[in-house]
Amino acid sequence: MDELIRSGSYVALQLPSELLKVVEIQPNITISLGKFGAFQTNNLIGRPFHVTYEIVDKPSRDGGSNLRPVPAAELHELGIGDTTTPDEAVIGNDGVDFEVVDTEGKVVMRTNQFINEDGANQILTLEDIEALKKADNSAGKDVIAKILESHTSLDKKTAFSLAKYTLRKSRKYMKRFTVLPIDVPVIVKWVMDGKDAPRIMEMREETLSLVTSWSNVHWGGAHGNESCNGLGQTDHNRWLVVDEISGLLVAAMAEQMGILHSRPRDSMSLSEDVLRNVAATEINGISESHEESGRTKESDPIRIQQARIHRQELFMSGTTNTITLVHQNAQPNLSLLTYFGYNTSDPDMNHPLYTNLKEISFLQLLHPEEDYGYLEPAESTPEQLKEMKSRQKSAYYRKRRRWQRTKAIVEETRAGGFAGLAVASAMTPASILHTLVPLLRGGAQIVVYSPTVEPLTEIVDCYSKARRSAFALAENPVVPCEEYPVDPRLLIGVSLHTARSRPWQVLPGRTHPKMSGRGGSEGYVFVGTKVYPAEGTIEARGFRKRRKLDVSTNGTQHGSPALQSELPHTESQSEVDMEVDKEVVSLIDNAQSTVGD
Amino acid sequence: MTTSSAISRSPFLNYTKTIEDENLALLYLRRDIQIPIILNAQDRDDEGYHEGKVANTRFGSFPHSTLIGVRWGSQIRASTVDTGSRGRGKRNQKRKLEDEAQDSDVTKVPVRADSGFAHLIPPTPENWTTSLPHRTQVVYTHDSSYILQRLRARPGTIIIEAGAGSGSFTHAACRAVYGHGGKVLSFEFHQPRYEKLQAELQAHKLDDLVELRHRDVCQDGFEGSDHKANAVFLDLPAPWLALKHLTRPGPLARDKAVRICTFSPCIEQVQRTVGDMRNLGWVDIEMVEITARRFEVRRDRVGHQEEGLKGVNSNAASVDEAVSRLAEIQKRMIHGDDEERVTKQCRLAKIKEAQTGRKLHIEGYLTHRSEIEAKLHTSYLVFAILPMEWSEDDEVKAQNQVIPDPKKEKGKKQIRRELRAKDEANGNAE
Ligand SMILES: C[S@@+](CC[C@H](N)C(=O)[O-])C[C@H]1O[C@@H](n2cnc3c(N)ncnc32)[C@H](O)[C@@H]1O
Repeated sequence: MDELIRSGSYVALQLPSELLKVVEIQPNITISLGKFGAFQTNNLIGRPFHVTYEIVDKPSRDGGSNLRPVPAAELHELGIGDTTTPDEAVIGNDGVDFEVVDTEGKVVMRTNQFINEDGANQILTLEDIEALKKADNSAGKDVIAKILESHTSLDKKTAFSLAKYTLRKSRKYMKRFTVLPIDVPVIVKWVMDGKDAPRIMEMREETLSLVTSWSNVHWGGAHGNESCNGLGQTDHNRWLVVDEISGLLVAAMAEQMGILHSRPRDSMSLSEDVLRNVAATEINGISESHEESGRTKESDPIRIQQARIHRQELFMSGTTNTITLVHQNAQPNLSLLTYFGYNTSDPDMNHPLYTNLKEISFLQLLHPEEDYGYLEPAESTPEQLKEMKSRQKSAYYRKRRRWQRTKAIVEETRAGGFAGLAVASAMTPASILHTLVPLLRGGAQIVVYSPTVEPLTEIVDCYSKARRSAFALAENPVVPCEEYPVDPRLLIGVSLHTARSRPWQVLPGRTHPKMSGRGGSEGYVFVGTKVYPAEGTIEARGFRKRRKLDVSTNGTQHGSPALQSELPHTESQSEVDMEVDKEVVSLIDNAQSTVGD
Repeated sequence: MTTSSAISRSPFLNYTKTIEDENLALLYLRRDIQIPIILNAQDRDDEGYHEGKVANTRFGSFPHSTLIGVRWGSQIRASTVDTGSRGRGKRNQKRKLEDEAQDSDVTKVPVRADSGFAHLIPPTPENWTTSLPHRTQVVYTHDSSYILQRLRARPGTIIIEAGAGSGSFTHAACRAVYGHGGKVLSFEFHQPRYEKLQAELQAHKLDDLVELRHRDVCQDGFEGSDHKANAVFLDLPAPWLALKHLTRPGPLARDKAVRICTFSPCIEQVQRTVGDMRNLGWVDIEMVEITARRFEVRRDRVGHQEEGLKGVNSNAASVDEAVSRLAEIQKRMIHGDDEERVTKQCRLAKIKEAQTGRKLHIEGYLTHRSEIEAKLHTSYLVFAILPMEWSEDDEVKAQNQVIPDPKKEKGKKQIRRELRAKDEANGNAE
């Protein structure tokens, strides 16, 4: 990601209220922050992120900056207030305000016992404040000072609540903002705070981090030259994603794979066919960047043609570090990708997602022959082609290329071998896992996000020990059916997680958890690992053998009589042994309650 | 593109289609019993089993020869291994020597045991965190995932980590930064821990991604790498003592914003750290705490039909059921007819019989509850940012920059459209 604010990109402005505002930084325009004032984008372009600016004036006509970068020390002044912290602070009865006592317990500072917080102490009226704000050109500090001055009971306030009061007022009137780069966590915060949470199924920042970690998603290296580095063949780094949260999950996975923020294209991730074309076009002196700069204007038609092949064939052509998005509608909703410079209706070919994000519908995946896009468009003979008008001809080629692309994606997806699966969808998890788990390679991680726990308890239960045992004993079970919505043998390590962050205020003498936060959905993550069951029946140690044994031989011994006398009990093993015993016992329990002796 | 042309050979980052000798793998027995093993076809330590190197568990014995070459994720059957008379290396040293001449090169083909199995799965930072040899407190997944996300650790990030401890966070950081030149610059001042982790990183083939240094960072800082960091994670008792060494010029990248996280269990540590961060020019200072829970999902069965069965509640499932049982007893008392009395044994036998026809795995209420071991507090997480350095010169330059005109931007699209039109006019062929 860029470290400087780039013309034409999106950024997030963090306001004193801590709310975010996402804006596009087009050059030569003025951005208004309402009561905070306005500024010109040119005064931000090319400057670093994370700087807090104060709007000190009206935007000037000559383009001079009305933005003052606020030094860190000044930023910190705001919350800390008088740092001559008294020795001891005792929390008052209301848990919010403070009372200061000396070492003997004598009160040395006034408390808020006599202060009415009903607004009557504030002798400036709302209109007064508005007028002050209009007249103010000190970025809000004068207003705050005036408000504080006119606060009749201010001298009765303790230093602590005074600092708090200043902080509260500042949040309202300070004309400051901080410029943040757009990335996935910032988008999450913005969407969640902006009352748009259903758009991302209330995905919290901390839950999203569980999703990406447990999915094990990462950059997979560039596979272009694997044959020459002496390695065995490694699988390509291809991921399956079901995203009904407006592209947020795709963005999060892409960010972890290093394909979300534009950077020079990594030619190693492209297929050979495409590479050949790229090479050809580059030899001929044409690459898209030349086209961009307008130089191709005067180039000959063959070159232009090559540039076009290049562009069209690159689309969704990546072979590793790719995301295959399986979607339920004809077109997926990926609207949030816009903020990362990737607009699906007019994709930028220089964006890594142009090559590395592939789309396939559930219909195309399961019944491709019923999909119009999968049907081969009639091929024209060279004679017919000659007859065609140029417009018809290019439509013809476009159609054929789209078909080839669809066909290629359908085939490679159905061939499987994916490195992992991440899901954020309102569809029944079992239906998705039944369909997609077989496409994963062994050891692949599966994660499913849900804002509520119920759909996930259901899917965890589908892989329960009891279900697996019953499945093993069932005669020719058909999957999916009501009893077995998924093949319970295909996942191990199934677990269900949640995480919650609790922000704190850390100020001298006033450290405590923040008073309010977001309620709503808790957010849960299902995790599992794809495995291959062994052929034929297979028993857990101690399973049936136990049942044949006399009831009096109890669970602390090994299930297999043949091994009982032989297994050593050395120290190094005893720890494992202890735990495994529990498993043996529970398997027996399981056998009993499931099968019934 | 810097280092992306090389594919990491670490099983954490890329794994081959089948399991290869000398690689780390996890023998998955149960969710909380996953045993890391380094596959070893040669039995270099010569532990004396006929089958060569063997992984012994209570779920059975698994000779490495039955593991190497299989697909990742395979379910592996246990083998019958004579673990009694041989093995246990030292004890049998003498006998081994005696036998050497006869069977040193002949490895027995393992015989499949009639029960017991394990799954062989690739290592991930998550399963490593739960199975690694603990030498210190470690950072768990719910914390490390959040920390790495907030530090924006992603392919290309250069992250400083101190102290490395047991390497739990190190592994998670490796996965996050791998690619586009990303690196982990790690520090540990405890010699044995440093050495163990170094050996581990080599065995995991992560040593080209991690620069591990043996150093007291509070005293001697973080310098020494060619790489300049843009993320920092401090899991030390006194992080504030290390803060002053995070400087530019110095270990921090000049031309990048740097994000930091400190990880401390006590609030006093947080207060000192935050105070010092403020003085050193860090901004956006925020402290959070992460609480995480893992759930157990099960089916709770209640009712008289459960009588005598295990792990269930055999009380009445409903008022009706309670009433009918009560009425039955009362009837007996009123009429005193013992003949119709159903004995407990009878009842239990009936229940047992009925059980075979029941589908217990889909009966009962589907419930979830937090797992018994709840982690209520791990540490407080302090985050902050140091914006990139920006001099007056830089500002002057920026003020004089030529900003591309949006009209020209439009020009690009125009050009493209023209191109397309021209292209079509010229009549194209594949
Ligand atoms: C809690 S452990 C870190 C655990 C690690 N984050 C993990 O996930 O496995 C703290 C480590 O910091 C090391 N340490 C403490 N002070 C240090 C210092 N000044 N310089 C380097 N290492 C230090 C200790 O030896 C210890 O191994």
